Formats: sequence, structure tokens, C-alpha cells
Amino acid sequence: MELYNLSGYELSRMLKDKKISSVELTESVFSRIDSVEDKIEAYVTLDKENALNKAKEVDDKRAEGKELSKLAGIPIGIKDNISTKGLLTTCSSKMLSNYVPPFNATVMDKLDSMDIVVTGKLNMDEFAMGSSTETSYFKKTKNPFDTTRIPGGSSGGSAAAVSAGEAVMALGSDTGGSIRQPASYCGVVGLKPTYGSVSRFGLVAFASSLDQIGPIGKSVKDTAMLFDAICGYDEKDATSADISHKSCLSNLKADVKGLKIGVPKEYFSKGIDDKVKASVLDAVKLFEENGAEVKEVSLPSTDYALNAYYIISSAEASSNLARYDGVKYGYRAKDYDGLIEMYEKTRSEGFGDEVKRRIMLGTFVLSSGFYDAYYKKAKLLQRRISSEFSDVFSDVDILCAPTVPTTAFKIGENIGDPIKMYATDVCTVTINIAGLPAMSIPCGYDGNGLPIGIQLIADKFNEQTLFNTAECYENLVGGFKSPNL
Amino acid sequence: MNIDIKHIAKLSRLHIEEEKQEKFESDMQKIVDMVENLPDIEDAPLLDESNPMTLRKDVAVTGKFTRDELTKNAPHVTAGCLVVPKTVE
Repeated sequence: MELYNLSGYELSRMLKDKKISSVELTESVFSRIDSVEDKIEAYVTLDKENALNKAKEVDDKRAEGKELSKLAGIPIGIKDNISTKGLLTTCSSKMLSNYVPPFNATVMDKLDSMDIVVTGKLNMDEFAMGSSTETSYFKKTKNPFDTTRIPGGSSGGSAAAVSAGEAVMALGSDTGGSIRQPASYCGVVGLKPTYGSVSRFGLVAFASSLDQIGPIGKSVKDTAMLFDAICGYDEKDATSADISHKSCLSNLKADVKGLKIGVPKEYFSKGIDDKVKASVLDAVKLFEENGAEVKEVSLPSTDYALNAYYIISSAEASSNLARYDGVKYGYRAKDYDGLIEMYEKTRSEGFGDEVKRRIMLGTFVLSSGFYDAYYKKAKLLQRRISSEFSDVFSDVDILCAPTVPTTAFKIGENIGDPIKMYATDVCTVTINIAGLPAMSIPCGYDGNGLPIGIQLIADKFNEQTLFNTAECYENLVGGFKSPNL
Repeated sequence: MNIDIKHIAKLSRLHIEEEKQEKFESDMQKIVDMVENLPDIEDAPLLDESNPMTLRKDVAVTGKFTRDELTKNAPHVTAGCLVVPKTVE
């Protein structure tokens, strides 16, 4: 098997045992990029020269007998909204098409200290606003399982690159499902960590109270390894949780005996494709056969969650994106008469339609006369949703639900209808609203050979339960299956 | 609730081209119609007191950047200063 197709965990051991070098591995990944990137279009920026230099540096360190991290020498792709010092960070927007950060995000400082090899910056929906990666200013990333279909979004480049072998692992970000949904569509594993467990410093802000950086990998172990590397307290992030994190990889226990699994009935109601429902319920049955206790539970406010999510996230986006004014960085319009016209033309020419829609929705729900009817109601509902999850987690250890109602749709199918596009987030947004950790792992394929994902949801800071359950499933049914490209 | 797209765009410091206004207004109308379906919940304080996260102390930022690093991405810089249109006559 080609090196680019192996899991990060296997490659880490091979590197440690000196069976392969990081240069060989990095060359294998870039050779794969050369052969499939025209079809997939996962990357906004490739950084081959620096990647190979870094790989050589890691090989030299290993030859000298230095103690290296598990991730040392592994090629990893980074979503293009995570600040990388000296490397373009565009958020897939015209607004930031020439922006080179003067600093690293905290997660990048952590990964640099662990000697990872950065392959480049991965395509996404503009400013992470979208569910298909079609709102990118630069290109439309394709699903490796069917290149006429979307890879999901907003971390579509990250999931597609891992699935296609164009990166061993990747970082994404998740505000309403942006790691889990593309992971589900592309047949890979994606984790949205508990809010506060991974630093947001250097993540270009969309909705600050919901955003969270997380890992995408081919296997559960890969995802655990990358999560271990990026989690932890950071004084630069005001919402970072000051708690101790034990290694999820070292404590991995592939066992569900005695695990109490809840199946929330609202996640299996209208709009969920029959094949998706059947695959998820088959996975639940498998857990039961292996010693888990399964019971139906209820989260009654789920039906309203999508509405609350679009109000809260758009309100925060309208405030966060006010900084793009053509003064300090990014795009500036060429012709204008005065300061106000410069702002308006810069923002109108620099942002795409979806970003404009969200900014306007956020401005509307926060505007005088409408705040109480929209934003305040949504915030009150957020508390109710959190409280419903707390009640359920006093009774069960983990929840199982679909990640997305359907498998990947065709490119162009939903882009003209925002309501249809927003509906693809219906199973994932509640988790961000409640600040919980959740993971998508592959659990089957539909009649067209497209991957289906099961979403595992745990109580705050219980990522270990997610990894243990997911690892058990992966061991029972087998791991990642490569798409035929 | 009827949407006045020109007014919302103005508040958002955006300009929507004439030919796109109808589509934006109709999309926004549909989105607002969707999101306004929320239950009436008895008023309660919005601050979540059970939140385990504590705000950081108000300490000075320790990171140091040169003026050049900070202005390198700016669209228009003269003599190390950001240039904007004249706002005071």
C-alpha cells in the first residue's frame, strides 16, 4: 500500500522504527497531490518546499537520536482560517486573498513544536459560512467518492484531502457541524471538541461562542493523536478551559460493555434518509450486541435548534466581520469617495453573497426593535437546549445520532436555496449550541457508494468516551476505506 | 416581518447591487420567516452561572511585533502609517 494511504498512527510507528523517512512520506503525499489535486481541488495554497525542508529537518533530528513527538514528520493539512505565520491565510475569501499572518495560531505553535510537516492550506466555505465548500472564492472542492458531489463544509478541503490521501491528517474548525458534516460525507473521522478545550487564538473568528478547532483523520487513533496535540489551556483565549487533559490515545479502551447509550428520537424524525437511519441504527445494534445498554431518550427542543443557531451565529458573525474595512489588512476597493464609501465598496466587493447574507441577518436580529424577538429568544433557547442535554447525560454516557440527514449531494444542487443548504446542519448545530464534544465516524454506504456517518455525542470534556466508543466500532467493522480515484 | 434589504445593507456597511436586491430580499425573507419560529421561554438571566470557564485576568499582551510586521498586510501605508480617506476638513 502507498504511504499516503496509511493512517497517521501506523505512519508514526514506521517513522519511529525508522522503516520510512519523513522525506519519503512527504514525497509520497505530494506525489498523490500531483496526481489527484486537479480532480479534488482541496488546497488553496500548497507549501511543498517548506514541507520537504521540514521533513528533512525531522529526519536529521531522528538520525541524531533526539526524542521526537508521535506527530513528528507527519504531513498535515491546515484549514485556511487557522493563522499560519508567513503562510497565506485567506479564509477562502477575496477579502483576505493576500493576507499573510504575522503570528501563529496557538494550535500551530503546538504542532510546530511537535515537528509536524505542514502540507498547505485547505479550501473551505468563505469565512466558514456554508455546508458544501461551494461558497469559497477560489474553487469548488469535490467529494473523493464522487467528484460530481460536494465534500461538505465548511471544512470540505480538510475532509476531502484526508479522504483522497492528499494529507495524512488535517485540522478543521466546527461552528455548526463544519468538521463532522464533511467528515461524514467523505468517509473519515472528525471530532468537534468541547468548547474551551482547544484554543481559538489565531482561528479567524466566525461565531466566537460556538467556534472550535478540531482534528480530522482516517482513523479514530489518528484523530485522538491530533486532539491530544492541540488541546489544553491557553491564556491567549479568554474562553479556554483551565483543566487538565489526559492523553486520549494512551487511555484508549475499545470497549462498550456497560456503556449506557441514548438514542435521541428527535434526530431520527422527518427529513432523515432511510438508508442513513438504518445504518446508524445498525451501528447502535452492534454496540448493544457488544454489551452496551441502549435506551431511547428525548431532547424536545431539537426542532428549534437550527433557528437559534442561525440567529446566534449570524449575530456574532456580523460583529466579528465588522473588522474587514479595508484599513488594517485585506482587500480595499479601488474607487471610492470618502471613508464610508470605501468601507461599503470594500466589503461589497470583498465578501461573497453567503457572507453578506449572514452579516445582514446578524445585523437585523441585533437591531433596535428586533433584539428581543430574535436574539434574546435564541439565547434563552440555547440555555434550555443545554439543560436538556445535561438531564439526558445524567442518565446515559453517550448519544448516537446521524451526523447528516443524507449523503453528499450534487454540486450546485442546494447552492441557490439557503434554506435547503441550512437544513443539512440540523443534526449538528445543537452540539455547538450546548458546547459539547461530538464525533463523526463512518458507519456505512448508500446505494451510490457514498459514505454515511454516525455522530457520537458526549457530555462536556468527555472526549475519552467518544474515542473509546468509536475505537470499539472501528475495530468491529474495519477502518477507513479509500475512494477509487 | 417584512425585510427592507436596502436598510439592513446600509446598517451592515454593505452595498447590494440593484440587480441582486430582489434575490437577496426574497432569500432574507425566507430565512427570517424560518428563524422566527422560536418557543416563548420565560424570561431568565442569560448568564450561565454553571459555566466552568473563567475569564482571564486583565494582563498586558506579551507578544511583540514590529511596526513593519503589523502594517505589512495593510492596503495603503505611508511613512509607517495606515492611510485612509480624509475625514476631517
